[in-house]
Amino acid sequence: MVASPSATYPLAALSTIISMIHIEHLTKDYRRLVRKEGFLSSLRTLFSAEYTTIHAVNDITFHINEGELVGYIGPNGAGKSTTLKVLSGILVPTSGRVEVNGLVPHKDHNANARQIGAVFGQKTQLWWDVPVIESLRLLRDIYKVPEAQFKRNLSLFDDLLDLHEYQNTPVRQLSLGQRMRADMAAALLHNPRILFLDEPMIGVDVVAKDRLRTFIKEINRDQKVTVLFTTHDMGDIEKICSRIMIIDHGQIIYDGSLDQIRARYGTKRTLVVEFEGEVPDFEAPKAARVKSEGRKKWFAFNRFETSPSYLIAHISARFPIIDLTVEEPEIEEIVRTIYRGQAETSEAASP
Amino acid sequence: MKIFWSFTRQAFHNTVIYRFEFWLRLVSAFLWMYSIQWVWRTLYTQRPGAFGVSLEQMVTYGVLGMVLETFLDVGPEWYMATQVRSGAIDTDLMKPLDFHVHMLARSTGEMLFSLGVISIPALLIGYTLFDLQLPPDVSTGLLFGISLVLGYLVLFHLGFLLGSLALVTLDIRSISWAYYSLVSFFAGQMVPLWLFPQFLRVLAEALPFKSVYYIPMSIYIGTFTGAAALQAIAFQAVWAVVLLLISRWAWSRVRARLVVQGG
Amino acid sequence: MDTLRLYFKLIRISMQSRLQYRADFITGVIGVIVMNVVNLGLIGILVNRFVHLNGWTIWELVFLYCLWLLGHSIFSLFFWHIRTLDDYLVQGTFDQFLIRPISPFVQFLGREIQYYGFADVLFGVLGVSLAYANLGLQWDWTKWVFFILAIVSGTLIETTLTLMLACLAFWTGRSRRANSLLMQLNVMIQHYPVDIFGYTFRVIVTGLIPVAFMNYYPALMLLDKIDRSRDWWWLSYSSPVVALALVGITAGVWRLALTRYTSSGS
Repeated sequence: MVASPSATYPLAALSTIISMIHIEHLTKDYRRLVRKEGFLSSLRTLFSAEYTTIHAVNDITFHINEGELVGYIGPNGAGKSTTLKVLSGILVPTSGRVEVNGLVPHKDHNANARQIGAVFGQKTQLWWDVPVIESLRLLRDIYKVPEAQFKRNLSLFDDLLDLHEYQNTPVRQLSLGQRMRADMAAALLHNPRILFLDEPMIGVDVVAKDRLRTFIKEINRDQKVTVLFTTHDMGDIEKICSRIMIIDHGQIIYDGSLDQIRARYGTKRTLVVEFEGEVPDFEAPKAARVKSEGRKKWFAFNRFETSPSYLIAHISARFPIIDLTVEEPEIEEIVRTIYRGQAETSEAASP
Repeated sequence: MKIFWSFTRQAFHNTVIYRFEFWLRLVSAFLWMYSIQWVWRTLYTQRPGAFGVSLEQMVTYGVLGMVLETFLDVGPEWYMATQVRSGAIDTDLMKPLDFHVHMLARSTGEMLFSLGVISIPALLIGYTLFDLQLPPDVSTGLLFGISLVLGYLVLFHLGFLLGSLALVTLDIRSISWAYYSLVSFFAGQMVPLWLFPQFLRVLAEALPFKSVYYIPMSIYIGTFTGAAALQAIAFQAVWAVVLLLISRWAWSRVRARLVVQGG
Repeated sequence: MDTLRLYFKLIRISMQSRLQYRADFITGVIGVIVMNVVNLGLIGILVNRFVHLNGWTIWELVFLYCLWLLGHSIFSLFFWHIRTLDDYLVQGTFDQFLIRPISPFVQFLGREIQYYGFADVLFGVLGVSLAYANLGLQWDWTKWVFFILAIVSGTLIETTLTLMLACLAFWTGRSRRANSLLMQLNVMIQHYPVDIFGYTFRVIVTGLIPVAFMNYYPALMLLDKIDRSRDWWWLSYSSPVVALALVGITAGVWRLALTRYTSSGS
């Protein structure tokens, strides 16, 4: 079951909707050397080689408007990095149309470079052995940032990222959290309209993550920076993204808001009941008992097939209850089922 | 020992993927053989008597030196150096395999791979194109083989010591150039020791480096025969053992230090 | 001009990076000096036995060696890291260059600086001076100008050839072996005059991978060893032309390599 992409995202009270990122039927292919097993076959590759074509990104289409904060998720190898590379001008599309704020990345390369910023989680763009501030100064020269704007941004980063704490430290001596913050500063130094974040939170501790998430939200809200954010962390998605796109095997399989995703796919609910005493296992109608532990039992049900109140009434009639909770499925679980193509939509299970 | 073969297989897969590299290594060997035999031929026409041996022997010596290099350019030093820099040395220390044996297996695996895939074609090229002579008889060939093994062990342990230095100083790149040129020089790889002026020759004869090229190659071309050959082999064996012991001692010291400092 | 200024800014930060590792400097310099001494030692031993190498006396050989070294030293000071282009690709550093609004080529060139070249410069200057004195050379200003040109050409030749071979990484993923091959050729022509080798080799190092123009041909001119009765005697003056031609070719190769990289993603 593949979700049909719903690309419209309503922005309230904007007289013109500016499409910041516009991708139409984008395809990106790679050629890969075919690896052979076995001694003789390997030896043969010394003399001739066989290639196979991989569609890293296969006919995808989406639009992102100015000021959106979009999460871009998918399993490894799904095509996220490739999409970002095409948008930042590192890769040339095999076919399709790509526009970033009206510019074609691989054609207007330098102009596009000035309007985008990027943070790659695994690799810093700062110079490793010199103090952070030196890297920032050099980037200022590279991007031709006027001095006044440079100073303004530095003081902004002081406020939001505590830059003054580590700006004189060489990057190799920074903690991961500090390094990420420094990279954020570096990426936003030239006031880009668009920010690409490629798994920026990997390995960052919880407190630092929170700071970074807050920072991204503030930048997005106050400076209207459009953000495209790839991540594996659903916490990031739930906390800051208003819209998510799911890509798998080079194709977009979902594009919409979090609420929509919950409404459409979040059909499962879990009722957690705590009984007064030890209670033998029993079944409830239209629900499945999925877990028993001590005096608690977990019942999973489809909210369109039955209601919690009906279930509670039934159970309490049999045994006295002292506590109960209704749990929603986590986004992570929903996304997992979407990957597996097993998502039950609300349409499929109409009451 | 299964470990040896797994490293050989690993080296095999690593290189086959980069098939361009294979051809380049062969071209490189070809160039070395070409250059050395040209130098000797030209010099021979200038002063035939100055060689001390016949032209065929000299050319064989030179070309053989290049063939041997195709598989003797291995050593544990780079692996050790990169492991230290990346911090991955800790995982090696945790393994139940004795580090020394581990390194020996790794180097020998790579060496065997090069021997099979690069050196044999190089040998053929040397034989057909550059007048590399075969050893005069089987016993010489055998002695050569033994001497070669011992020479490899000496080379390996020298490299191991260099690698151990990496664990202490963290960067051996700059030292390594001096190291390689010194080893090659005193090993008589290109210019045999008997051509050295007296003061250098005395020094070179005392050092262990000649075990790597000079002794096996001299046996091969016949300048060391009978008792002299056995004496030379004994020299190699002694140094191989000495260096092995020093290596193990050095490693235990370094390891203790690593454990204390946390890598 | 703007690009040049940015290049110097990049170099400045690379120098700052390099200065963090001071201890390495000394071992590096010593290591390079030892290597050069050993190399010349080998040549010395041969000349000791054979009086000359195909008509080249010891000081002429020292000159040959050190002339190469001077061109090489500037290369190794500023452009040594070109060989490691494959690492830049694999580790994603090169992608960082592509995101920025300035030429990735300039960013790549300015990325690192090495100090090994210092020792080579010192050694080269010393060697050439000694050779000059011992050979009783007396150059007029044209020869001095040509000497400088030869060194600059040498740097350009080695830089462009190294860069072209490094660009192989865009296609095959690794370029170290190919670069080792270049280094090997360099070693051969550094130690021995090209005329000691056979005809095929001479053609290769003159016409195909023209490293012979780093030292051999200029040396013929500077040491008055040109044999004008031979056919190709004018090659001795051709180093700067070869250098410029290589610069043009390399520019094309780089462009091709970039196109390849951005379209195939390696």
